[in-house]
Amino acid sequence: MKSLLKTCVAVAALTWGAGQAWAAGELHIYNWGNYTNPELIEKFEKAYDIKVTLDGYDSNETMLAKVKPGGSGYDIVVPGDYMIAIMIKEGLLLESKPNEMENFENVDPLWTDVYWDPGRNYSVPWQWGTTSFTVNTEAYDGDIDTLAILFDPPEALDGRINMLEDMNDVLNAGLRYLNYPRCNDNKEQLRDLAELLTNAKPHWRTMSYGTIEKLTSGDVDVSQNWNGASMRARLQVPSLKYAYPKEGFTGWMDNVAILADAPNPDNAKLFLNFIMDPENAALISNFARYANGIKGSEEFMDPEMLDAPEIIMPAGAPAPDFVPPCDEDVVAFYNKIWTNLKK
Amino acid sequence: MAEQVLKAGKALDLKYQPGFNIVTFACLVMLYAPIAVLVFFSFNANRSVTLWTEFSLDWYASALANENIRGAAWVSLEVALFATVCSTMIATAAALATTRTRPFSGITAAYMTINLPLMVPEIVTGIATLAFFALMGNVLGFTFGEANLMIAHTVFCIPFAYLPIRARLENMDLTLEQAAADLYATPWRIFRRVTLPLLMPGIIAGAMLAFIVSLDDLIITILVARPGQTTLPIFILGQIRRGVTPEVNAVSTILLGVSVLFVTLFFLIRRHDKGRG
Repeated sequence: MKSLLKTCVAVAALTWGAGQAWAAGELHIYNWGNYTNPELIEKFEKAYDIKVTLDGYDSNETMLAKVKPGGSGYDIVVPGDYMIAIMIKEGLLLESKPNEMENFENVDPLWTDVYWDPGRNYSVPWQWGTTSFTVNTEAYDGDIDTLAILFDPPEALDGRINMLEDMNDVLNAGLRYLNYPRCNDNKEQLRDLAELLTNAKPHWRTMSYGTIEKLTSGDVDVSQNWNGASMRARLQVPSLKYAYPKEGFTGWMDNVAILADAPNPDNAKLFLNFIMDPENAALISNFARYANGIKGSEEFMDPEMLDAPEIIMPAGAPAPDFVPPCDEDVVAFYNKIWTNLKK
Repeated sequence: MAEQVLKAGKALDLKYQPGFNIVTFACLVMLYAPIAVLVFFSFNANRSVTLWTEFSLDWYASALANENIRGAAWVSLEVALFATVCSTMIATAAALATTRTRPFSGITAAYMTINLPLMVPEIVTGIATLAFFALMGNVLGFTFGEANLMIAHTVFCIPFAYLPIRARLENMDLTLEQAAADLYATPWRIFRRVTLPLLMPGIIAGAMLAFIVSLDDLIITILVARPGQTTLPIFILGQIRRGVTPEVNAVSTILLGVSVLFVTLFFLIRRHDKGRG
């Protein structure tokens, strides 16, 4: 048995050795699955003669669990706004000073002084979007720009609603409908929130992330949704409309950052600078269908994105609400409400 | 009298309990209907995985042409093959040591240790393995790199390979090995010429189980995988958030086909062996 183990280890070591032999110019990117334009990667590889590997994750939390112990081998991660704040606090990100890079001047000033990375010392914008909901106007042709569609739906939409299976998205929408502040630890207001959600639940059909499938198959007529997903669904079913509720809606941004223990920090910095070039930022958007926060990238974007009502917000819409990470006790309350709701 | 016994036997036999057919049917539907739906929509011409339009093989073509899917499939196979070979060898040795020796003190402890991965929740094994490899890298500055994943898979595949092999050993007629020993065969010769051939069906069953379990694993893999080691399950999970296309159905159907092929082969080999015996 010992010698068998030895054989296994020897084979493993050999495989490892073979892997190392490739290391000339490398860059290891860990991004959300199906989110990175392969053309962008090819262009970067050719421009700098760097071999890129790309792996996907399905949530900020999976990514955090994996890189937190250190030595994950990745150079670049693409966390959401609140996750950048958490990772900076925990010392997981390299202070790579993107604000001193050549292409930083292209970043829209709207995105340079953000709560999760004031002044942009750690991260650069990847894509940003909004989380609201999509309505099939063939099923309901009234005013859709109100959260009442989700929490007190008109009869035509009763039982035809999909909510995201995401605690923060559902709870924050409820807090906005009640006109209560986010990251709330007021017990009475939280009781109201729990009551609102419990009463609304019978009107909902499902809770799922598969929004495009649900809407295009006609399984539901309303779904909480991301703006880019809503656009892709509309290209299949033209009667789908993205709502900008007057009570407000969530804004989010995914950001490219370098890990503190990145094996190839210099190549990673090249990549950060590379994606702040408008032409390259447009490649990102053309693939995943979200805005990128780089000035001048519109010029290189697909024409169908430039007049998409999901991407270009109407003049009267409220500003997207970027919700910072809440305190631990608030999260504990939220968890309780969420667990109860999902019973 | 004999008739009564027969009747009593019939009454106790599970197959004659009321509702047996309905329960069986319900179980089969619950098990296989989702798979049938998945296979069905892999032939859909539409982009949707829920709305049927017309028959097409386009998604198979695009899945096979998709470099990411091919890469992920390759990683999965590489890891599964390595884990299968290593875990089956170790499991065979362990099965022999726990059945073909005089009972030693600590045999229960050994048995428990071997089967521990079956009982510990996968997420615990995953986090522990991740932390272990990270610690090894941080403190000793030593890492197996991409072999981390193969070692982790080998470890959790061992009990799956071990159980069928041990079961086979326990059912094997010990007198054959004793007879060989009586005829002055050396222990190695007994193992090569008597034990191993008789044990082969158990080893093949164990290896196949290990292979499928490794191919299937998500939680440990997602935590332990190194850059570039996206396996098929990780790839498929990554697609869900941004919209699944029937490409994923096509890949799953191909995987299903491979599994069915394996099981059929195993079944045929066994029947062939039995027929010869």
